[in-house]
Amino acid sequence: MTTLIALIGPALHMLAAELPSQAPQGNNRLAAQAVIGSLFSVHILIAGLVSGAGEIGPAIEFLGFVRQRRRYDRLAHGLGRFMTLYFSFSSAIAILLITVLLVGYWGHFWTTMVTIGWWPLFIEAWTFVLQVSLAYIWYYAWEPLRAFKGVHMAIGGLLAIASFLQVYMIDIIASYMLTPTNPQNPLRLALNPTSYPLTVHRTVGNLAYIGFAFGAFCAIRFLRARNREDKAFYDWAGSFGVLWGVAMTLLQPIVGYSYAKEIQLHSYGSWYKMMFGTLSPVFLWQITLLGIMFITATLYFGRRLRTDGARGAGLLRAMSVGLVLTTLLAAMPYHLGFTYADVAAAGLNRPFWEGGLINPLGSMIPWKVLALMFYTLIAIAAVVWYLRGLPGVIWGSARRGEQRILMLMAFLTMLMIITMGFIRENSRGPFLISGEMTIQGQQNTQAPQPTPAP
Amino acid sequence: MGRIAAAYNWFDERTAIRSLIRKGLYEAVPVRGAWFYTLGSATLVLILLQLITGIFLTLLYVPSVTEAWASLHYLTQHDAFGAIVRGIHLWSAYILLFVIGLHMVRTFFSGSYKRPRELNWVTGVGLFVLVLAMAITGAFLPWDQAAYWTAVVVTNIAVYTPFIGSFLRALWRGADTVGPTTLSRTFGIHVWLIPAILFPLIGAHLALLRKHGEFGSYVNYRGAYRSREGVDVPPAPKQRPIEPPYPAVPTDELWAAPLETEDFYPHQTFKDGVVSAGLVILVFILAVAIGAPLEAVADPATTSYTPVPEWFFLPLDELLLLVPQQLIPLVLVLPTGGVLLLLALPFIDRDPERNPFERPAVMVPGAFAVLFVVILTLLGSGRLFNL
Repeated sequence: MTTLIALIGPALHMLAAELPSQAPQGNNRLAAQAVIGSLFSVHILIAGLVSGAGEIGPAIEFLGFVRQRRRYDRLAHGLGRFMTLYFSFSSAIAILLITVLLVGYWGHFWTTMVTIGWWPLFIEAWTFVLQVSLAYIWYYAWEPLRAFKGVHMAIGGLLAIASFLQVYMIDIIASYMLTPTNPQNPLRLALNPTSYPLTVHRTVGNLAYIGFAFGAFCAIRFLRARNREDKAFYDWAGSFGVLWGVAMTLLQPIVGYSYAKEIQLHSYGSWYKMMFGTLSPVFLWQITLLGIMFITATLYFGRRLRTDGARGAGLLRAMSVGLVLTTLLAAMPYHLGFTYADVAAAGLNRPFWEGGLINPLGSMIPWKVLALMFYTLIAIAAVVWYLRGLPGVIWGSARRGEQRILMLMAFLTMLMIITMGFIRENSRGPFLISGEMTIQGQQNTQAPQPTPAP
Repeated sequence: MGRIAAAYNWFDERTAIRSLIRKGLYEAVPVRGAWFYTLGSATLVLILLQLITGIFLTLLYVPSVTEAWASLHYLTQHDAFGAIVRGIHLWSAYILLFVIGLHMVRTFFSGSYKRPRELNWVTGVGLFVLVLAMAITGAFLPWDQAAYWTAVVVTNIAVYTPFIGSFLRALWRGADTVGPTTLSRTFGIHVWLIPAILFPLIGAHLALLRKHGEFGSYVNYRGAYRSREGVDVPPAPKQRPIEPPYPAVPTDELWAAPLETEDFYPHQTFKDGVVSAGLVILVFILAVAIGAPLEAVADPATTSYTPVPEWFFLPLDELLLLVPQQLIPLVLVLPTGGVLLLLALPFIDRDPERNPFERPAVMVPGAFAVLFVVILTLLGSGRLFNL
């Protein structure tokens, strides 16, 4: 391996010398950023689904085996089919991004990242090979290995591990860009301050996303289904998807908060930009969107139970009202100007009843923290009540309205993923590697940290 | 008749040892889920390992701020096997916390705490809290930097108790700051007070276990075979005649007696032996390979030392880091509330249903509680490496 690195190292340096020393400037830079940002968003939207399917699919197969229910097996098989169909699409975008756009526009940055993150990228490449191999074996060996379910589930387990490892390896690179540490120490590189929170955040997020996504897919199939058996299956699978998605999203407030805390401790400039700076309106939109997602899911739960007259629908409606009130609290802006700095510069950083532009009810502590706690607690109660009511549901009898809510849930989740990606990638600005390499000049530099807000 | 047999008969005539062993070894236990029961016996083996190594450590350890570190340093560096005994004590404590946690999770998910086993659960929760208390107080004793700063942080947590917080902290510390009285009081709590409650509670837990018998997996009871739409009903297994200690509840037909049982000896004892022996070997390997660290002697005046929490503190530590200063008392209410809720669990969840998929009202919050603890531990684990 040392020989391999010794061979590749000079080649990378030669390649770096051939690459443009200047990043795109002016309008060209904005256009390049827009293209890369859009393509990355598409890549993440597909790759998140593939990773999530690689983790949840084997879990559903195992659940079906334990519970001896055929519909779980059918659902897991469907997820396997999805992976085999979309794996290459997601990979093609990633390869296009790296080989053409990143190397072409930000070549110096990319060679630097490959040099620093050689080991994670090397392992990531091999887990990618492992993931794709296992995904195809898992799907195509379904029938041949039906008599050897234990072996098939073991392959599924390996697929889940490979899917997780791939996400973790690429998260090491992404987190390093936000909170760089000593790159000479592989342990410090792998355990940089935001690598754990980002990996947990993304893994849980991918699991939620695939749940909402197949919920929406099943809603479409339900509307097109002609026979009773299919209708019953897609109705159940849609409900299972949204239930799984909400159950995973419930964990995100605390994981996301922990991630933000690490950013505050280790990359204060980025955190300030998110909380008080130019990204604060987007951050406000994100926390509001989270509330809208919980409200929508609770509405689905309530409607689905009411359709069959199952118990608990009334209480779920009351919970959705509670979630609306919580979302209103979470959505309150702290400073009634674009950024806190603008408000302070105008001398208006005092409460609005004193003629200023500060709304104390919009502060993170304690109000938004309390809102996050209420989101979680109410949504846990909604999941419990829905599960309690499920024995009264007759699968296949759902109405169109519920299916529309399932599709809306998937759309909201995609919006959330794009919003979060936008915040994270832009919070580093004007840096590509926080505090070390800028987007414009690609030079190592040190930036002054903003003054803490009161 | 050989002399040994004659001696055994003599002893049996006076103590009834034969029937005692027969009762102990040949009782019926459920077949399904048997590997999961081994967590209970493994917990007991690890507690006994703690007791034995603890007795050896007290032969040399001196509970005074001037001698504690030096006595352990001598034990580690110069005493034959001292480092290994200390290593076994530390690693068996770590693994004990993990295994007792798993044992509780298994009991919770399988619904084994339900009637008539409510008091098994209550005594089990008590044992879990006491083991945790043993680990916390044990962490003070080496009186190195890590121990001193753990003592400062942990005794300070007591101050957040409503109304009597300051009194509790002063009672534990014996002064305004952590010092000699804190160490001697904590030593007393660690070796006398907690074990005095722990061992009788273990006896009660085991007695109740033998009285009601193990509750196995829910799939081994008639409750699991009620016909449901879309369920592939497995054929009923060959049923062994119901025998003591079953039926545990004569009135609760579905969950009274397992469909398949086997003798405790040799079936269950073999599994218990395999798991316990495996864990003891693991403890021994860790004790030899890694040992028990001993940092520099405690220095209250230091400004350069960065305290790293013990791994079992990580969930609480991460939570304390996350919440704002104003909400810290609320966070400290969580563990207390959690323990009270655990104690009350069998009296709240009285539905006889054991199938985890059929009791979402308990399973979902329980699963989230476990997930939150795991996630907080993961999020805080970066600090173990002091990054």
